[in-house]
Amino acid sequence: MQKMLSQFIAALRQSGLPISQAETLDAVRAVQLVGIRERELLKTTLSLSLSKTRPNQLILEQLFDDYFAGPSTELNKSLDEGDELSIAAESLPPSADDQSAPPQGELSVLAQQLLSGDGEGLTVAVAAAAGAENLSNISVFTQKNLYSYRIMQRLGDEALLADINSKGNSAPEPALINSLQARREQLQAQVRDYVEQQFLVHAKHKGMKFREDLLHKVKLSHIEHQDYHRMAALVAKAARKLATQHSRRRKVSKRGMLDVRKTLAANAAFDGVQFHTRWKATKIERPKIVAICDVSGSVSRVARFLLLFLYSLQDVLPKVRSFVFASDLVEVSELFEREDVAAAMEIIMQRWGNMSTNYGTALEGLQEQVLSTIDKKTTVIMLGDARNNNGDGRADIWSQVYRQSRRVLWLNPENKVSWNTGDSIMSEYSPGCSEVDACQSLNDINRIFSRLLKNS
Amino acid sequence: MITQHQAKLASPEILRSNFEKLGYICSDAIATAVYLACQLQKPILIEGPPGVGKTELAKKTAEYLASPLIRMQCYEGLDEAKALYEWKYGKQLLYTQVLKDQLGDVMRGARGLDESVQRLHQFGDIFYSEQFLERRPLLQALQAEEGAVLLIDEIDKADQEFEAFLLELLSDYQVSIPEIGTVKAKSKPIVMLTSNNTRELGDALKRRCLHLYIPFPEASLENKIIASQVPEINEVLRKNLVSFVNELRELSLKKAPAVSETIDWARALLLLNVTALDEPWLKDTLNLLLKFQEDVELVEPELKRLLNKSL
Repeated sequence: MQKMLSQFIAALRQSGLPISQAETLDAVRAVQLVGIRERELLKTTLSLSLSKTRPNQLILEQLFDDYFAGPSTELNKSLDEGDELSIAAESLPPSADDQSAPPQGELSVLAQQLLSGDGEGLTVAVAAAAGAENLSNISVFTQKNLYSYRIMQRLGDEALLADINSKGNSAPEPALINSLQARREQLQAQVRDYVEQQFLVHAKHKGMKFREDLLHKVKLSHIEHQDYHRMAALVAKAARKLATQHSRRRKVSKRGMLDVRKTLAANAAFDGVQFHTRWKATKIERPKIVAICDVSGSVSRVARFLLLFLYSLQDVLPKVRSFVFASDLVEVSELFEREDVAAAMEIIMQRWGNMSTNYGTALEGLQEQVLSTIDKKTTVIMLGDARNNNGDGRADIWSQVYRQSRRVLWLNPENKVSWNTGDSIMSEYSPGCSEVDACQSLNDINRIFSRLLKNS
Repeated sequence: MITQHQAKLASPEILRSNFEKLGYICSDAIATAVYLACQLQKPILIEGPPGVGKTELAKKTAEYLASPLIRMQCYEGLDEAKALYEWKYGKQLLYTQVLKDQLGDVMRGARGLDESVQRLHQFGDIFYSEQFLERRPLLQALQAEEGAVLLIDEIDKADQEFEAFLLELLSDYQVSIPEIGTVKAKSKPIVMLTSNNTRELGDALKRRCLHLYIPFPEASLENKIIASQVPEINEVLRKNLVSFVNELRELSLKKAPAVSETIDWARALLLLNVTALDEPWLKDTLNLLLKFQEDVELVEPELKRLLNKSL
C-alpha cells in the first residue's frame, strides 16, 4: 500500500502539487486509519491531507480517478465476460482449478493463472511486473509498446507461448489451446490498457512541466502563438505569487497614538513613572505604481506579454495605474478592471497596437495626465524599446519624472547589444532611470518585479 | 480528548449521523475531515464561500463533544498580546505599591546591596507568575483540562507574522512564553481555522493542517438542511425554493446566496405565510438572498424565467 501511495504522490508532484514528506506521512497515517476498502472515503481522505488549495483539490480528484481506475475492475470484468471461455475451461476433463491434475501439471504458472480465472491474482501480478519494470518512469508515448512487451515478458509470456505451441503439436486438447490463446490476447489487451493509463498518470504532466520550464527561459519574442494561453496562466501565477509575497509589508514607525499597555509594561520597572514611550502605529506599505507600456509596431512581438504582466499586476496589487501608448498616451486601468485579460488585450492591440512610435508625444501626454500625481512613493515602470523613429524623445520630461518619483524602471525587450543602434535612443533616457534592464523572458520579468516589490 | 470520546469518534459515519441529530447536515467529506482531525490530532483549515457553515461546524463539534468552544476572531493587527497572554500590568503596579511596606520589612536588617538583592531573590518572580497572567483564547485552549475546540476564525484577516506565530501551536500544541517557559497543552484541543481566501495563506501553515473545502451544498443536501432548520415549511415550497436558489448560483453574481441566506429566506417565507412561490413575493423578498443592488438589478428581469425553471 505504501508503494502505491508513494507512486500516487509522485504522480501528484508531477502535476504540480507541492507535497512535502511530512504531508506524505500524514496521508499514510490517515489512510491507515480509514482503510482502503471504501473508494470514496479514500479519495476524501487523500484530498484532505494532500491538497491544500481548491484548484489542487480538483487536480487530485481527477488524478485519483485516473490512477485508481485500476486494471483490477476491467480485468475482472473481462474475465467475467469471457463466460464461454470459462465454460470451455471448466468443461475440460480435470477441473481447471485443480492444478495438480496431470494435463495441467506441465503448464506454466501464467497459463494456470489464466485458466483458473484468478482475476485479482493477475491484476496484482500485472501491477507487480509493471513496478519491477519501473513503469512510472515512462515519459513519452513511443515507450508504451516497449513497456507492454516487457511486462508481458516478466509475467511469463514466453513460457505461456511455449505451452500453447507444444500443446498445439501434440494437440490432445484443442479446447484448452483455444482458451489459452484467447486469454493471452485478453491479458495483452489489459496490459496495454494498464500501460496507457499509467502513461496518462505519470507522463502527461511531465511533458507539461518540461514545456513550462522551457517557457520560463525562452525569449518572449520567440514564443509561438499556440503557447500564448499557457504563458498567460504562467504570468498570472507569477504575478500572484509575487504580490502575495510582498503586498503586506509592515513598517514600524515612531508616530501615531500612544500604546498605553505597552508603555505601562515597559515602565513597570520604574515604579510606574513613564520613562519610555511605546507607540501604536504600524504602517502598511503598499507600492504605488505607474506602469507605461509601449504597444507600437516595433515591440509588437513582446507587447502582449508585457501587457499580460501589467494586467496581472494590476489585478493583484492595489494602486496600479496602467497606460499604453504608440504615440498618444492612454490610461487603460479602467479597461483592465472591466474586461478579462484576453478581451482587454484584444481591444488594446486593435486600437493602439502596431502604430508607429512617438515617445515625445507619449511623454508629453504623461506630463499632462500623470506627472502631478507622481510623488516620492511612486514607482514608475516603462516597458519599451526606446525606438523613436528619429523624433524628439523629450528626455527632459523623463528626467522630471525621475526627480519626482521614488524609482524609475526601464525594461527594454531588446538585447543590450542592440540598444542605441538605429533609432533607439536608450542613452537619452537612461540617465533618468534608477534601473535599466533588458527584459527578454519570463524569468527576467519575475526577477525584476520581485526586486521591485521588495524595495518598494 | 480522543480517549474520552472514542465511542463518539469511531467512524465518519457515526459523526455524520450524530451531527444530523444536532441539526447540522453535512457531507461525507466534512464528517471525514472532523474524524481525521480528531484521530490524527491535526488542525483543519476550512475554506469556502461565506455562509456555508464553516463556523457552525466548529460550534457543532464543540456541542457534540460537550467541550468548551474557544473562539478567536482574527483581524489585521492582531498580536500575541491579544491572542495568547498578557500581564496584568495594573495589578502588578498596584501590588508593588501596596507591598512597598512589606518589602521594607523584608529588607530590614540586610547589610549592603548584595545581601538585599540576595533576599529579594528568595521571593522568586512573584510579579511574573500565574496570578498576574491574563489568559487570552490560545492559552485558554491549551490549558483547558478537558480539552476544547479552538476556532481561529478568518485567519486570512490576520497578518503574516501572526500566522508564523501560530505554527508552533498548530504542530506541537505548545507555545513559548518568555517569562514562564513553554506551555504544553494539558489535553490537545481540536483546532479549526477558517479562511475566506482574501489572501493566500503561507505554505507552512497549510502544511500543518488538513484542508477542507466546503462548497455550496448540492440541492438534495440543501433540501435536508432546510428541512432540519425550518421544519415547519411545506415540502413543495421547500423544494422550489432550494432549486430557485440553485438557479441563482448559476448566474454570475457578485455574491451568490449561501446556505445561511436560504435558511433566512425560508424562515421569512414561513413568517409571511407564503405557501407557493410566485413572482410578486419573490420580488419583495429578493433582498434576503442578494446583498448587492447590482445583483438585484441583474436578477429581476430574469425572475420569470428562473421561477419557471425551478417550479
